[in-house]
Amino acid sequence: MKKMLPKFAASLAVCSALVSASVAADVIKIGVQAPITGQYANEGQSIDNGVRLIVDQYNAKGGVLGKKIEVVSCDDQGTAQQAAICAKKLVNEGVKAVIGSYTSGATEAAQTTYFRAGVLQTSDGTSDSLITHKYWTFFRNSFPNSAEADYTAKYFVDVKKYKKIVVLSDYSSYATDLGDATIKALKAKNANIIYEGKIKSGTQNFTATLTKIKSMDPDVIYFSGYYTDGGLLRAQQIQLGIKADFVGGDSNDNPDFMKLAGESAKGALLINVPTPDILPYDIAKTFLVDYKAKYNSMPASIWSLMNIDGLRAILFTMDKIKSEDTKAISDSLHTLKDFQGITGPVTFREDGERLGGGYMTYEIQADKSYKIINQ
Amino acid sequence: MDIFLQQIVNGLTIGSLYALVALGYTMVYGVMRLINFAHGDLVALSAFVGLTVYTQIFGESITALVAVITVFMFTAAIVAVVGVLLERLAYRPLRTAPRLSAVVSALGAGLVIQNSVMLIWGPNMKIFPSNIFPSTIWEISGIVITFTQVMILGLSSVLMVGLYFFINRTKIGTAIRAVAIDQDAAKLMGINVNRIIMIIFVIGSALGAVAGLFIGAYYRGVTFDMGWMYGLNAFVAAIMGGIGNIPGAMLGGLMLGLFNAMITGYISTQWAETFTFVLLIVILIFRPTGILGEKVAEKV
Repeated sequence: MKKMLPKFAASLAVCSALVSASVAADVIKIGVQAPITGQYANEGQSIDNGVRLIVDQYNAKGGVLGKKIEVVSCDDQGTAQQAAICAKKLVNEGVKAVIGSYTSGATEAAQTTYFRAGVLQTSDGTSDSLITHKYWTFFRNSFPNSAEADYTAKYFVDVKKYKKIVVLSDYSSYATDLGDATIKALKAKNANIIYEGKIKSGTQNFTATLTKIKSMDPDVIYFSGYYTDGGLLRAQQIQLGIKADFVGGDSNDNPDFMKLAGESAKGALLINVPTPDILPYDIAKTFLVDYKAKYNSMPASIWSLMNIDGLRAILFTMDKIKSEDTKAISDSLHTLKDFQGITGPVTFREDGERLGGGYMTYEIQADKSYKIINQ
Repeated sequence: MDIFLQQIVNGLTIGSLYALVALGYTMVYGVMRLINFAHGDLVALSAFVGLTVYTQIFGESITALVAVITVFMFTAAIVAVVGVLLERLAYRPLRTAPRLSAVVSALGAGLVIQNSVMLIWGPNMKIFPSNIFPSTIWEISGIVITFTQVMILGLSSVLMVGLYFFINRTKIGTAIRAVAIDQDAAKLMGINVNRIIMIIFVIGSALGAVAGLFIGAYYRGVTFDMGWMYGLNAFVAAIMGGIGNIPGAMLGGLMLGLFNAMITGYISTQWAETFTFVLLIVILIFRPTGILGEKVAEKV
């Protein structure tokens, strides 16, 4: 609690400052709904910091449509209950658009409120259910599981030309989703999947499953689960002398994967969107330098940058169509083509899905660094 | 064929870990008629104690055999002390109480240990250094076996055989068997029952500590709540073999490991646990006291 107090006080101060400032009508308000405290606090704070940085940069150049931009933050703590409260609060504040939230759950809980109030929302949640409502107010700034699956299938079949593919997942909904999507995408490309299996997360001993896989002599073992199991799978694969490539889905991208796999980590492949520090775009490099200069740290993850891209696309569109009418902005956003974002080109589909998918394949080097081997 | 043999190696490795943990359950049950549910958490505790001793006292870079042996001895000693304290604080005051009270006390003690581990070492997974044992791998006609696996199989066999002879051939072992048969009669024969129970907890906890360290060295990642999974499997192993019976715990552990590996290897992961418990039920239907059974005859 002690740790949280300064943050709480700070956000109170910000809120009260904003309330007094809101009397002046000549501002455009942008909301931030993010888990600023709670277990995802570093992600939430990073989103809030990033939004404020971009807004400061805009304001320094005179804001949008000749008006200053004002940021209103609300802490949803990563929970649906707080998210619903935040949604009402931000709508009452009169924001034009909301950036966030970080988790799919908190995003979904606030979606309808924003839709009814005609407030734009952009979030990095990857859950497929987020776009099923087809709200014109919602724009996903990250890529869904199916995009990763498509990339993986293309990479396996067209680039690597794997003949015998093993797909492993665990029983979590995320890993099952990603695993199923990958199997579907692979089958669409007529790939030869020789084994689809599941491991029980946390059981640590995967040698029995791997020995069975060894007898099938696969070219590649794809694992859609989390790094805690992925690292061990990789270690036990090498230990059993299975020559196949190991490819891990995005949740294997964690420093602990390398610690668990030890020396075996070398040569393992990971598929994920780029980590912030290796984004190839100039705009990304400039942003990271500015961020570091202002906050003396790096953004928590790529997800903050995805949200920033959502914000940048909205501000860009406001300027482009010279309007602050949210419906007009939404219509224009849906036709936005290849807007240069920090995380790659931004294009939105009719239902608010972000098209494309800046997925990459990394190979883990002997010194535990990543080398991009396919984009 | 080599796949089958490989699955046997896989099964025996995990099986001997189960067996080491199962010995702790079975010894305590044999003497006190108490299921020590906190035993699995002692295993988890030992992994964390071992990791701290290894990294803090010796530094990660040391691989010398002496250092590893010291870590094993030191950790086993600390966990044995915790085991004895556990008995003093949680079980001894309830020795004459109804058996249910002691079981509830055991479950509570397990939670206390588990949460203490979480508070001391944090809720995140901790990772053992990879160089505790040399990363040598042998391949004999397609069957792969690592140095760590050989250590696990070798050391646990030595410990189990040693324990068997200790119980059956030494004076203290005889006293332990006497207490297991009848505490009051043993007391009348001049056996210090409290001391025997203390010895049981020292041995059981130390064996659990060895298992915990092996889990850390072999699988590398340890979490504060992992004791539950290993504890449950070992408990099943102890029941399969015949709880209270020392060779039974060893047999049960090895059988459980092998059975799991075979089901996973030839049927599927999804079914492994289902089949394990079906096997347990079948064994209990036909042999209610487990495969080897508790040596009830001695009681007469």
